[in-house]
Amino acid sequence: MSEVTNGISRRSVLKGAAIGGLGLAAGGSLLAGCGSDSTGALAFGARTVDAGPTAQLKALVAAYTAKTKNEVTYNATESNAFQNNLSQYLQGTPDDAFQWMAGYRMQFFAEQGLLADLTGVWDTIGDQYAESYKTAATGLDGKQYFVPQSWYPWGMHFRKSMFSDLGLSADTVTNWDEFLKMLDGMKKKGLVGFAAGDKGGWEAMGTFDILNARINGYQFHVDLLAGREKWTDAKVIDVFTHWEQLIPYMNPNVLDLEWDGAMQLLLQKKAGSMLMGSWFGGNFKEQSQADYDDLSIIPFPEINPEHGRDTVDAPIDGFCVAANGTNNAGGADFLKFAGDMEGVQAMLDAKDADGKSIPMTSANKGQDTSTYDAFQKEQLAVMDEAKYITQFLDRDTRPDFAGPVVGPAIQSWFKNPKDVNKIVDSLQAQWDALPPLA
Amino acid sequence: MNSTAMDNVKPHRRRAFSRADRTTLTAFVGIPLFFHLLLVWVPAFLTIVLSFTYWSGISISRIKWAGFANYKNIFVDTPAFWEAIQNNIIWLAWFAGIATPIGILLAYQIDRQIRGHKFYETAYYLPVVLSLAVTGIIWNFLLRPDGFVNGLFGRDIDNAISFFGNYDINIYVILTIASWRHIGYIMLLYLAGLKSVDMALREAASLDGATEWQTFKKVIFPAMKPVNVIVIVITIIESLRAFDIVYIIYGSSAGFPILGTLVFQNIAGEGASMKGAAYAVILFALSIGPIIAYLRTTFKSDVQ
Amino acid sequence: MSIDVELQTAAIKYKNKQKVKDRFISAFIGIFAIVWIFPIIWTVWSSLRPYKEVRANGLFSVPKVLNLSNYADAISRMDLPLYFWNTFIITVPAVFLTLFFGSLIAFVVSRYSFKWNVSLLLLFTAGNLLPAQLVFIPVFKMYITLGKAVGIPRLLYDSPWGVVLIHVAFQMGFATFVLSSYMKTVPKEISESAMVDGATVFTHYTKVMLPLLRPALASLGVLMTTWIYNDFFWALVLMSTDSKRPITSALGRLQGEFVTDYNLLAAGAVIAALPTLIVFFVLRKQFVSGLTLGSTKG
Repeated sequence: MSEVTNGISRRSVLKGAAIGGLGLAAGGSLLAGCGSDSTGALAFGARTVDAGPTAQLKALVAAYTAKTKNEVTYNATESNAFQNNLSQYLQGTPDDAFQWMAGYRMQFFAEQGLLADLTGVWDTIGDQYAESYKTAATGLDGKQYFVPQSWYPWGMHFRKSMFSDLGLSADTVTNWDEFLKMLDGMKKKGLVGFAAGDKGGWEAMGTFDILNARINGYQFHVDLLAGREKWTDAKVIDVFTHWEQLIPYMNPNVLDLEWDGAMQLLLQKKAGSMLMGSWFGGNFKEQSQADYDDLSIIPFPEINPEHGRDTVDAPIDGFCVAANGTNNAGGADFLKFAGDMEGVQAMLDAKDADGKSIPMTSANKGQDTSTYDAFQKEQLAVMDEAKYITQFLDRDTRPDFAGPVVGPAIQSWFKNPKDVNKIVDSLQAQWDALPPLA
Repeated sequence: MNSTAMDNVKPHRRRAFSRADRTTLTAFVGIPLFFHLLLVWVPAFLTIVLSFTYWSGISISRIKWAGFANYKNIFVDTPAFWEAIQNNIIWLAWFAGIATPIGILLAYQIDRQIRGHKFYETAYYLPVVLSLAVTGIIWNFLLRPDGFVNGLFGRDIDNAISFFGNYDINIYVILTIASWRHIGYIMLLYLAGLKSVDMALREAASLDGATEWQTFKKVIFPAMKPVNVIVIVITIIESLRAFDIVYIIYGSSAGFPILGTLVFQNIAGEGASMKGAAYAVILFALSIGPIIAYLRTTFKSDVQ
Repeated sequence: MSIDVELQTAAIKYKNKQKVKDRFISAFIGIFAIVWIFPIIWTVWSSLRPYKEVRANGLFSVPKVLNLSNYADAISRMDLPLYFWNTFIITVPAVFLTLFFGSLIAFVVSRYSFKWNVSLLLLFTAGNLLPAQLVFIPVFKMYITLGKAVGIPRLLYDSPWGVVLIHVAFQMGFATFVLSSYMKTVPKEISESAMVDGATVFTHYTKVMLPLLRPALASLGVLMTTWIYNDFFWALVLMSTDSKRPITSALGRLQGEFVTDYNLLAAGAVIAALPTLIVFFVLRKQFVSGLTLGSTKG
């Protein structure tokens, strides 16, 4: 039926695609200046309506227009609505450039021919990025389809003030036993130890990722998500067994809260720690500078000494150009600017409504890490310690598996952790039933 | 729409239509019919076909025949499907056994012009007018961890009652919200029907010594047959098609699986697959029964 | 005569008993009614209080400040005129076309006796009851394919017209059903005299039937307006530009944007609900009869 046959099975290529590891090189050359021909007006789609990121993106757009005289129409959509609608958006009448994520989520749409080739952009700005970012921006055909904007690590977040009240420090929470002891101590103080929310269905994937990587290692995790290992493996059950030990320290309403509900627990000092991506630091800062200064991150503790703390989920957010847009050249030109230090600087210089700077850890080497604030430096330290970097479960595996299958499976595990055998059986069965990707 | 159709005009109208009249009639029926078929029936049929394929919904050349694979996947491998069926059945039972009877009861009482009936009618009907987006926000106000109800129970966000996350209670929470709208709707439908039932009939019955229940059962209920059919069908269809309220609360996650959200979760968004089409067809198959029953009752007289 | 008296006393006794009972029932239904609208009252109440104060003093604290500043805030941040306009340009044409098409079919079906009348009615009514998700992917594909074929990509997809058409296609079924049952109550003689007078089908429709349909159209129109106004599914999946979406979607955006400031969100919700509430209160009679036109068909 399909006229697209490439000799090799597309399914095996897609299922087998591992996401390249990437490491961060700090410092580096500050290259700027890319002469733009006039590529005309374009439309840009932002997948956020939050105040901070919006101010950053608008600053980027303004700087681009000031430099090139190309008008940019700024369209913002709330992130969940944007994600749910992405397939239709890209097939229909997309903006020329839009905000998206690296990893499988990008590769899937690139493979479907919905993203425009950005190899030319990378020829210009490539030397401003570590090789690993280029890998993350590369589709299955070896071309680049993505320009990184920022990254953030997933790790254990806590408030310094609460930690010192409890007599804890980062050095005292390095392995599983110490971690459980910490949670015990918090529980005795009447605190929620491990704030969690999974109403959205994706939040707890981060916990699965890190537990799997800590217990079974990076390679097993990647292989599992690519279908080369089985969900029914005793190793996967071991992940859930460890996870179950955390449940007594969680807030009882995990399935009632989305990520922001869990964040509220930490913000209001009802919870001692939370596993989350550091992006929410911006929300703390919006609350108050003091809350932001109090925020801290450490890597998730070691469980299996064989793997130490060698892996971290660090999703990269960035931009793509939609193939069905009306001005692909304009979109690419805009992204050339956005990826260049000049555009990055415009975002870094953006201020929120109260005149405060908005935290962002750019993927560009040109952002001097010495200008990082304390929390950002900790994020960098978390990254530096890791040997392997993964994106996030829903960016590292097939989209028709992550959202519709893994998300509900974890939710039903929360509902009844004793069902773990049934749940992994069904995960494997549903993986096996996935349609061939071609 | 051609001359053969025109030949079937019944005797007392046997009268040649002029060319202009024919054109008019053709256009009157043809244009709406065209849009209806094109945007409702043709797509519905296509979705049924697509449910037997593998496809990510993007490139048409990549559609692959799948046979019954999507259905096998749903029935055999997807526990969420059976949870959804269970939830839809509970939904139906709740609507049929509790919400709809309450709506009828309210209509019956309000119809007797008890004091304040105008206000009551408005109060009960108000939720039906609100959009689901607004309904979602309103109930979130009451039930979220730092909302009204948790506040009433003296709970704080770290020990709040998990109204949407506790699977023992969340179905009843959802059903309460759904009933908040459904009851008013049923009440109003029934109220209109009751207005057409002769008051004298009712008073006569009560003077004959019939209890109120007997009056209702023997006199009013039978007289309300057309409304009853509509109420039953609405109850069934709404229970099967339920989607909006759950989508508003849980988004596209499967926090509370019902058929309507499973369709959406699998057919829209990044992970689109024709498993979603298969879900839609299952939903269609389940609702077609009540639709036919409804149509048969409604059009019985027309067919004869 | 004595029977008469007996009957009368029985009636009086019955009425007295009923009065006491009614008072109980009325009280019960009244309390229940307050509970019923409490969620709405609580939302309005919350919308009048600043979030900071609630956070500081608790949910049930006695308010120090009670004002409309959340409304001012919501209005300025929600871009309300734009979203209301978007809603307007979807709802008005959709309602108008639905009524127009529905009345055409209903007219033909109820005034002319063709063999396929019943099948036609069946088709429309059944179509109205199909789940929207069943048709979504093919409709989307049609829209973008057609748009690309004619060189206007936004002809239907990401355009108010696409949303209008799908609403019309679906709701037409309901309108047809309701209007045809209404028309059946209009005496056939009216039509027959028109035909005898040699009126064309067209004048029969415009000059004879349409005026008679006016009350039914008004009722149905009010009902359709609230339905289409409140829809968010089609606007969500058939539009990609957020600034084209109707007010109900704007609420979703507000919800995403102000995850924590619930009081502001309350104000936004009240504002978004206001037009339907006004329609409901002003045109309550039409609204109710619109809903029941189809169901009271004897």
